Amino acid sequence: MALALPLAGWAEAQLEAIRALAGTPALDGLSGVQLLGERAALNGFSIPGRRSAGGGCHLYDTIDGQVALTLARTDDRDLMPALFGDATIESDSDIVTAFATAQTNAIVTQGRQLGLAIAAIDEVPASPACRLRVTGGARPKRDRPPLVIDLSALWAGPLAGHLLGLAGAQVVKVESRNRSDRMREGDPMLFARLNQHKANVAIDLRDTEDRAALIALIRRADMVIAAARPRALAQLGIDADALVRDVPGLVWVTITGHGADGDAAHWIGFGDDCSVAGGLSAALREASGRIGFGGDACADPLTGLHAARQALAQWHKGTGAHLMLSMSAVVAEAIGWERARDAAGFTATLQRWTEAEGAPFPVVAARTTGPVAALGQDNGAWLC
Amino acid sequence: MKPGTKLKSAVCDTEVMVIRSGTGAIECGGSAMGEAKPDAVGTPAADFSAGTLMGKRYVDAAGSFELLCVKPGKGSLSVDGVALSPKDAKPLPASD
Repeated sequence: MALALPLAGWAEAQLEAIRALAGTPALDGLSGVQLLGERAALNGFSIPGRRSAGGGCHLYDTIDGQVALTLARTDDRDLMPALFGDATIESDSDIVTAFATAQTNAIVTQGRQLGLAIAAIDEVPASPACRLRVTGGARPKRDRPPLVIDLSALWAGPLAGHLLGLAGAQVVKVESRNRSDRMREGDPMLFARLNQHKANVAIDLRDTEDRAALIALIRRADMVIAAARPRALAQLGIDADALVRDVPGLVWVTITGHGADGDAAHWIGFGDDCSVAGGLSAALREASGRIGFGGDACADPLTGLHAARQALAQWHKGTGAHLMLSMSAVVAEAIGWERARDAAGFTATLQRWTEAEGAPFPVVAARTTGPVAALGQDNGAWLC
Repeated sequence: MKPGTKLKSAVCDTEVMVIRSGTGAIECGGSAMGEAKPDAVGTPAADFSAGTLMGKRYVDAAGSFELLCVKPGKGSLSVDGVALSPKDAKPLPASD
C-alpha cells in the first residue's frame, strides 16, 4: 500500500460537499490530499516525528503523558520562565528537561493562561467543530457574485477564502497594516496558492476612519472569514455577533483554535498543536506505539475546507449566521469519520505514516498559481 | 517575584501572571497585589482606575516588569506607584 496522508478521506468529503453546493468548474481539478500536502510539497518537508513537519511545534514527554508546544512567534520564548516557574529556563534542552518534571494538566493550563499554543496528547476538544452562535435575517436578492471579506491570516482562513473564490465568490483580503499576514514573506509560495485572485485592502485597525471603512465594507458583504479570537476583534470595536444580527443574510465564520466555549475562548492554537489537541497524535500512538505528528499542520487545511463548506451551506440557506469553528474539534471530527468509515484501514494508514518518519511527504499533484495582489493595492476600489 | 506567579488585585477582579519581574511592589488600583485575595476588597484609587484588559501584557518603561492580565478588572497596574503601559499584540508568526 502506498503511503497516504492521514485524514485525506475526510478532506476529500469536504471538497465533494463544496463542489455539490457550488457547481463551478474551478473546483474540478482539486483534491483533498492535494490541499493537505500542498505546503509540504512546496517546501520539501519530511514525514515528522516529534518535531512537526514545519519545525515550529514539538512533542515533549511530561511526568504523565505528552504535550505539544508551538514556539512560532519570536517572543514566545520569553514566556518559558513563566511557563515553568523558573527564571533560568532558556535553551531547547532546558525546555525538554522542564517538561519531564511537569504534570500535563498543570503545565497545559499554565501555558494557555500565558497565551501559548500548547496542547495535551490525550485531551478532548473543549468545543464542537462548528457552533452556531447567532442567527441573522434573510439575505436580500443581489445581482452579483457573493462578496467574501477575508480578515484572516496564515493558512486555515485564507484557504477557506480561496475555496469560496473557486466556488464563484469575489474575495477581498483585508490586512491590518501594523499586523499583516506575515506568510506573504514567510512562505511566499503557499501564500500565493491561498491568496491568488483575491483583491487586497490594507487598513490600520486602530484608526477610527479605517475601522469605519472596514465596517462599511463588511455591511456590503455576503460572507466574512475571520481567524481572530472574538475578544481580539471586539477590543478593536468590531462586534461580529452584532453585525450578523444587524446585516440581513451576513454569514460570518470565525476560525479559532479551540472554539469559544468557556475558558477555551481565550486559548490560541496553530495547525500542529491543534491536530494534537484533536487527538491525531493519540491515534498515531494507539496505532503504532510511537509519538509523532500526523500530516503537516493538518488542522489548518482541514479547517479551511470545513469552514468553506459551512459558510457556503449557510449562504445557500439564505439567512445570516455567526459560525464558530474549532480547529482541534475539526480534527477530532475527521478522525471519528475516518474510523467510522474504515477503522482497520485508518489504523493501517497511521501505522504506515509513523514507519515512514524521515521520508519525503507523499507526492501530490501541483497546481498553478494566479495573480497575487500587493498589500493594499485595491484600497481605492473597495474602501469609501 | 518568581516568573509564572499569579497575583490578585486587592481592590478589583484583576489577576495577572508575572512574566518578568524586577525589584519593586506590583500594584493594582494603587494597592499591592498578592497571591491571595484579601477578605475585604477595597476600591481602586482614582489615579489607577483605567482598568485592565484580558490577555493584554503590561510593561514598565525600563522593561524589567512584564505582567499578563489573565482576568480583567477595574483597577490599573503600577509598580511603586508608576503606571505600567499595555504592550502591542504579538506579531503573527511567518508561518505555522
